[in-house]
Amino acid sequence: MAAAGTMARRRQIGRSGELLLGSAMVLPAFVGLALFKLWPLLSAALDSLQTFRPFDRVSTGWVGLQNYIDLLADPDFRSAPVNTLLYIVLIVGITIPLALYLAVLLDRRLPASTWARNAIIAALATSEAVTALVWNQMYEPSVGLFNAILTALHLPEQPFLTSGSEALVSIVIMTVWKEIGLPVLIFLAGLQAIPQEVPEAAKLDGASERQTFWYVTLPMLKPSIVVALFMMTVTATRMFTPILIMTQGGPQGATNNLALYSYQLAFEYQSPGLAAASVICMVGVLALVTAAQGYLLQDKDSK
Amino acid sequence: MTKRFGKDLSRRTVLTGLAGVAAGVFAPAIIGSARAGDGKIDLGGYRGPELTSDPVTLRFLRQDFTPAVNTLLEKAYAAFTAQYPNITISEEKVPYGDLQKKQLVYMMSNDAPDIMIGRTDFSEVYHYSKAALPLQDYLSPDYVADIPDNLRAAASAGGNLYCAPWETTVMMLYFNRDLFDKVGMQPPPEVDNAEGGWTDEQFIAQMEELNGKLKAAGDTNSWAYAASSQGNGGPGSNYSQFESIWTRSQGDPNAPRDSSAYKTLAGISADGLSVSGCIDSPEAIKGMQLYQSLFTKGITPLGPVRNQYPGGLAATYMGGLLFSSRFQDPAQAPAFKWGVSLPPKGNILFSNSTSDAPLIWSKTKHPAEAAALLAFLCNDANRRDFHRAWGSMPSRMSLIHSMDEFQTKQPFKLAQALLDASYGAPRTPGAFDYFNAMNPVVKDIALGADPAKVLPETAGKIDKLLAKYK
Repeated sequence: MAAAGTMARRRQIGRSGELLLGSAMVLPAFVGLALFKLWPLLSAALDSLQTFRPFDRVSTGWVGLQNYIDLLADPDFRSAPVNTLLYIVLIVGITIPLALYLAVLLDRRLPASTWARNAIIAALATSEAVTALVWNQMYEPSVGLFNAILTALHLPEQPFLTSGSEALVSIVIMTVWKEIGLPVLIFLAGLQAIPQEVPEAAKLDGASERQTFWYVTLPMLKPSIVVALFMMTVTATRMFTPILIMTQGGPQGATNNLALYSYQLAFEYQSPGLAAASVICMVGVLALVTAAQGYLLQDKDSK
Repeated sequence: MTKRFGKDLSRRTVLTGLAGVAAGVFAPAIIGSARAGDGKIDLGGYRGPELTSDPVTLRFLRQDFTPAVNTLLEKAYAAFTAQYPNITISEEKVPYGDLQKKQLVYMMSNDAPDIMIGRTDFSEVYHYSKAALPLQDYLSPDYVADIPDNLRAAASAGGNLYCAPWETTVMMLYFNRDLFDKVGMQPPPEVDNAEGGWTDEQFIAQMEELNGKLKAAGDTNSWAYAASSQGNGGPGSNYSQFESIWTRSQGDPNAPRDSSAYKTLAGISADGLSVSGCIDSPEAIKGMQLYQSLFTKGITPLGPVRNQYPGGLAATYMGGLLFSSRFQDPAQAPAFKWGVSLPPKGNILFSNSTSDAPLIWSKTKHPAEAAALLAFLCNDANRRDFHRAWGSMPSRMSLIHSMDEFQTKQPFKLAQALLDASYGAPRTPGAFDYFNAMNPVVKDIALGADPAKVLPETAGKIDKLLAKYK
C-alpha cells in the first residue's frame, strides 16, 4: 500500500512538474503574443469606442458605437472594404495558381531553373518601397517604360495609375510580381516533400501526367496551399506601402483600402478614434475571409 | 575581417589617419569663420538665459538640403559645439515631402526633436496643440521687429511667435527663352514689380500654342510647362504653397466679407472651422478648371516626374527664388537663356507668404539651448551663407537690404515685390486636415475629376474634419 501511495505521489509530482515545465515553455510565446498582438488589438477596440483630442491624443470620452456610425456615413469608408476585398480576390486569385505553376516548373530542374528561382526570390527580398517607386516610374504616363513599349508596338498608351479602372489592377500586378516568391517557395518545399514513389506508382497504374498532377500531387500539396493562401490573404489585406507610394489611394479613392484609410484617419486627419474603428473593421474583414477559406479548405475526410 | 593594404596597415587605420589630418587642418578654419570678433560666436537675436554647462543633446529634424547647404549647416554646428562643448547636436534628415507628417507623428508620440523645421502655414496648429515654444521669450524685440509684418503674422498665433525667421519663398514664372525663340513666340514680360505679367487664360493659351508648335517642329521631348517639383512632386503634392495659387487668385480682397470672391481668397471662414463656400465657390471651381486644363491640354506631365525645366526640356516652370540664385552661379547655370516673370494672375496677382521655418518643441528639456542654437543658425552671417547656397529669400528686412541682389537684379526685385504683396495661408488649427484633404483632390482634378463635383464634396469632408477643433 505504502509503495503504491509513493508511486501515485511520484506520478502526481511528475504531472505537476510537466505542467510547470510546459507552462514555462509556453509562457514566452504567450507573453509575446499578448504584448504585441492581443494588447494592441484590445487597445484598438477600446479606442474605437472613444473620441480623442487631436495631436496629444488624450481621450475626450466614451462615445459607444458613434465612431462606427460615422465611418458608415463616410463615402470613402464604404469603398475601402470593397477595395480591400478586391485586392484579396485579385492577388490571391492570380498569385496562388501562378506560384503553383512556377513551382512545378522549378521542381522539374529545367535549364535555367536556378536562375529563375534566384530571380523570384530576389523580387521577394527587395524593399517594398523601392519596388513601388521603380514600378511607379515604369507606369508613369508620359515617360514610363510600359507606355514606351506600347507606343513602340503602335498600341494605345494606358493611364495605368491615373485611371480609376486601371490603377487598382496595376497595383495588383506589381504586388503579384513582388510577392509571388513566398508561395513559390512554400509550394517547392511541398513538392519536394512528396515521396517520389507516390507519383511513380500512379504512373505505373497508367495515370497520365495531368491526372497524376490533379489527383496525386495537388491533394498532397493541400497543406502547402492552405499556408500559402492564408499568407497571401494577410499580405493582400494589409497592403499599404505600394498604395501610399503609387496612388495615395486615388484616383478618387479607387485604390484606397482599409489599411491606408485607417492610416489617413490616424495620421493625416488626427482622428484616432475613427482610425481605431476602421482597424477593427479591417480585422473583421480579415477574420471573415480567413474563416471562409478555412471552411472551404477544411479536410472533410478527416471528420 | 578588415581588409589589409599592407602587412600591418588596415584601411580603417589609413582612413582614421586621414580624417584626423583633415580635422586638424580644417576645423580651426571652420570654427574661426563663424566666430564673432571677441572669440564668441554670434547668437543673433538670442536674449534668453545663460546656457547650461551640463551635457545636452539637441535633436534637430529637418529636410535634406543640397550637399552644399548640408555642409554649411554642419559647419555651423561645429562652430556652435566648439563654443559649447557640452552640447551635442543630433540631426535627422527626411525628404521634404514627408517632413510635416514626420513632425506630426513625433508630436503625437510625445517624443519630438527639440528643433523641427515646420511651416508658417501651420502656426495655428502649433498654437492649438501647444506644440511649439513661444520664441519671443528668447529673442530680442528688435530682432522680432525685423521680420516683415506679413511674415511675422504668418509665423505667429495667439500673440506668440512660433516660427523662427529662417527663409521665405515666392512662386515666380520661370521661362526658357531658347524654347520660345525656337517656335517664334514672345516669352512672358520680365517685370521687376507686381504689375504686368500674363493672366491665367493668357498663360494657358500661350502654353497651348507653344506646345503645338514644339510638337509641329518635331520636338516631342520638351514640355510647355514643367512638372511640379513641390513636395514629393506631381500634381496635388503641395496645395498649401503651390496649387492654391490657382484657386485663391480668383478671389478678391476688396469684396464684401460675406461674398464668395472674398471667401475664395481667404480659403477658410473667419473662425477657421469651415471651408464650404471658400474652396468650392464658383471662383475656386473656375481656378481649378483652369488648372485642370494644363493637364487635359497636354501642357504639363501628369505623373510625378523630375522637373524638366533646369535641364532645358520645359519652356516654363513655377518655382521659387532659389532657381534664380542657383542659375546665377556659373557652376550651376543652365545651358539655356532663362528669365523670370510674375505668376499668372487670376482675378488678382496672388502670392503666398508661407515659408519653411524652424520651431522649438514646447516640451523640450533644453529650451534655452535649443533657442540659442536656432538663433545662432539664424544670425546674419549664417543666414546670408544659407540664402546664397540654397537660394531662398531672407525673412528679415535687414538681411534683404544687406544683400545687393535685392536692389539690383530683376528676379530678386520681383521676388521682393511679390513678398510685399503676398497673402497668408488659411488660418486654422486643422491646417493639416485641410491640406491633407485638398492634396489628393487636386491630384484627382489633374487626372480628370470634375472640380464642380469634387470640390463641394471635399468642402463637406473638410468641414467635418475641422469640427473636432471647435
